[in-house]
Amino acid sequence: MSHRPPVLQTAGLCKTFRDFWRRPRVEAVKDLNLEIHPGEVFGLLGPNGSGKTTTIKMLLGLLYPTRGRISIFGKPPTDVSVKSRIGFLPEESYLYRYLVGSETLDYFGRLFRLPARVRRERTERLLDMVGLRHEAKRPVGEYSKGMARRIGLAQALINDPELLILDEPTSGLDPIGAHQIKEVIRELGRKGKTILLSSHILADVEDVCGRVTILYGGQERETGDIDSLLREESLTQITAPPLSPATLDQVRALIRRLEAKEVVDVTHPRIRLEEFFLRIVREAQDANLHTHGARSGGDIPEFLSKATETSEGGVVEELVTAGRRAEPVAFKPEPIVAKDPSRNVIDDLLGRPAPAGDEATKTKRAAPARAAEPARTAPHADRGIIDDLLKGSPSGSGKGSSSERDATRETTP
Amino acid sequence: MSNVWTVARQMIAEGIRMKVALVFLLLIGAVVLGLPFSIEGDHSVSGAVQSFMSYAFTATAVLLGMLAIFLARSLSDELVHRQIFFVMTKPVARWQYILGKWLGIALLNTAFLAGAGLAVYGMVQYIRYTRTYIDPKYDEGKLTKEILVARHAIRIKLPDFTREADAEFERNMEAGVYEDNIKNNPRFKLAEEKQRLAKKREAMWRVVGPNAVRVFEFEHLLVRRGKGSFIQFRYKTDVANPPSDEVLRARFVFGNTFKGTPEFEVPVRHFIGRYQTMALPASCVAKDQTLTVRFYNTNPYPGEPKHPAVMQFLAANEVEVLFVVGTFGGNLLRLLALMQCKLMFLAAVGVLMTTWLSFPVAALASFTIYVLAGTRGFITDALDLNLGDSAGMFTSVKDFLLQTFALVYNGVLMVIPDFSRFDAVESFVNGRNVPLVWVLQAVTELAGMKTAIALGVAMLLFHRRELAEVSL
Repeated sequence: MSHRPPVLQTAGLCKTFRDFWRRPRVEAVKDLNLEIHPGEVFGLLGPNGSGKTTTIKMLLGLLYPTRGRISIFGKPPTDVSVKSRIGFLPEESYLYRYLVGSETLDYFGRLFRLPARVRRERTERLLDMVGLRHEAKRPVGEYSKGMARRIGLAQALINDPELLILDEPTSGLDPIGAHQIKEVIRELGRKGKTILLSSHILADVEDVCGRVTILYGGQERETGDIDSLLREESLTQITAPPLSPATLDQVRALIRRLEAKEVVDVTHPRIRLEEFFLRIVREAQDANLHTHGARSGGDIPEFLSKATETSEGGVVEELVTAGRRAEPVAFKPEPIVAKDPSRNVIDDLLGRPAPAGDEATKTKRAAPARAAEPARTAPHADRGIIDDLLKGSPSGSGKGSSSERDATRETTP
Repeated sequence: MSNVWTVARQMIAEGIRMKVALVFLLLIGAVVLGLPFSIEGDHSVSGAVQSFMSYAFTATAVLLGMLAIFLARSLSDELVHRQIFFVMTKPVARWQYILGKWLGIALLNTAFLAGAGLAVYGMVQYIRYTRTYIDPKYDEGKLTKEILVARHAIRIKLPDFTREADAEFERNMEAGVYEDNIKNNPRFKLAEEKQRLAKKREAMWRVVGPNAVRVFEFEHLLVRRGKGSFIQFRYKTDVANPPSDEVLRARFVFGNTFKGTPEFEVPVRHFIGRYQTMALPASCVAKDQTLTVRFYNTNPYPGEPKHPAVMQFLAANEVEVLFVVGTFGGNLLRLLALMQCKLMFLAAVGVLMTTWLSFPVAALASFTIYVLAGTRGFITDALDLNLGDSAGMFTSVKDFLLQTFALVYNGVLMVIPDFSRFDAVESFVNGRNVPLVWVLQAVTELAGMKTAIALGVAMLLFHRRELAEVSL
């Protein structure tokens, strides 16, 4: 754990909603204790009505706690100075319908007292990032829900926040938008930003968060490292290139002989529908097919990662830089086990000696990287293989895909 | 303060783009730009100008007052549609948000009011130069010397009647006139009797019998002297026993040779009961800035019927001297400043109400205050609430309720201003100067104190309010 103080901390946080006569009606949050450290991507999980949004509203000073204490950057959430370090995306994008996209970002930039030049640059870059540059002069009231979410995300980043609070960030977005937002979250996490993500879409949280708290009925049910929470210790998963039935039989026999256990399941892994969908859309975009909707976003703007041109001056800049330097606290990135493409799975399984220095291959359980290094290699490797398979090109193409295809991945499911 | 300005700019953009303000602007435009083509007045050009200005400014004041309240809907809308979640999670203090909203509304109103003022000014010139004068000498003179100017009015200096009243009181006391009242009437008060006697003396002084003379003195006439300088004498007489032709025949003498001024004798012959204005050379005003006017209740027209009429100059404003102190344009600016002060207060009331009430209720509450401020004097007179002598022990339940109501009402009046005190449209339309002191009072009381109170309460309520409040 880091010795640096937590970015966000709650102690015994409670919220009771009352009726007109001040009688307590709903206890939305009960005795919640959270601690989020610099550089952490933290998930707040729970079904509808579990108190996620209420918690976030209290963290932002939009609701006042009935009991308990909140500290953000060591100050109460009602402190105005704290808000200049926070970016917030609410569960729905409640924007000014009569402002166009660029004016919306400019307005929120003004509220952060950003100079005109900085506002202009950031507005352009963020519109690029969320794929709305071509719709920048269209009133937000005419945007689709997904487009409004995108502009909502852009406004949350206009101040290059140290703490980003995202409430259901992917709700209302198409898979491309959801994927992009997750990419942005991963990237920001890599840059050292602290992110609090609230969602009931479990896949989103699993994809980007390092640590989660699960709420139910306003109470904390479980908190912990997402890998340790999800790791199934009773099974071992081996991922390999396509194997012939004969090889599989040998593998089964070997396991039976060495471990005296039967292989539970042998099947071809599937890519996720999200990845497949994204590939199809990417191909359409490459073919320049016309659309009135949002387009794929651009890269993360430099200002979100580079310590330049923040108008707030030295203190904020220093804080931002400090945040960027911060090591992830709860989840130190663990290296993906890089396998020597020349070795095959049988060699590994039979324990044949590896080339000198390849200690990593001896690791039986290499957890996928999370949090500050969330851009996991594994999904890319999978995608490369599937891409090649779908193209019907057994030999594959490109250096990356061949090496990935040959790689052997051992994971604990 | 930059955040206040940012929120204000946003408010202005919203007002314009959401078309609420444009609807009001169109209505004002229709009144100001349309009226000159249809208004008749008394069929004179000066009458048309007066009627136009009166209608135009009254309509503008009402519409902009409503707009100030309607624009405050923005705050309520942001709470309902939750844009406030975006704004208040930025480094904006709640007081800055409230102040910004109010400033935006006030600026929008200022722009519209300035536009309306400019349009009225332009349309007055349009009427003036495009309409045909039926009696050019009189009508054009009236327009330029009595309407499109800023004139200051001085009323007669009343003699001190207290000494005479006191003497009469002493005589009555010695004669035992009050003995019965003192013994039997607990409400009888000697001080009030003295006041009554003084008022009786004044009433007698205001009556001028047949062939009698009354001398009126005016002070503080800071008139410009020079070639062509003039003053105006305005009066109205009532007659206790009017002649059959209802025509007043009398004469005035202006000036005082003892004070070194020339004297001007002016015979008058006109219908009784109407205001008359006559222009006089400014030289009849003495160097000590006083004017002496003698009224002779004698018929100066030989051969015309002589009726022994008893003339009365009843009201305080029935005899006055006017002189030009400013221009029409300057007067217009002061009038607009007064109107703007009211709008600033109304904007603050609108913002205050929307910080804790949903819009329809907030609008209703704001309009109630608007109406109450406009008719305060009337309502107070109608209710005739007076804590007076009965403060202390309550004599009955009805008395208790009345006293309680009076207490609450008086408390409310401390916060709600009296708009009629700052209503200068009538003065302006009659070419009267809108005094700078009114403007200063309005700025201090309306735009300053009362607006600050309303905004302060709004900030307090908004600060304490949960912006993501859930209604159960």
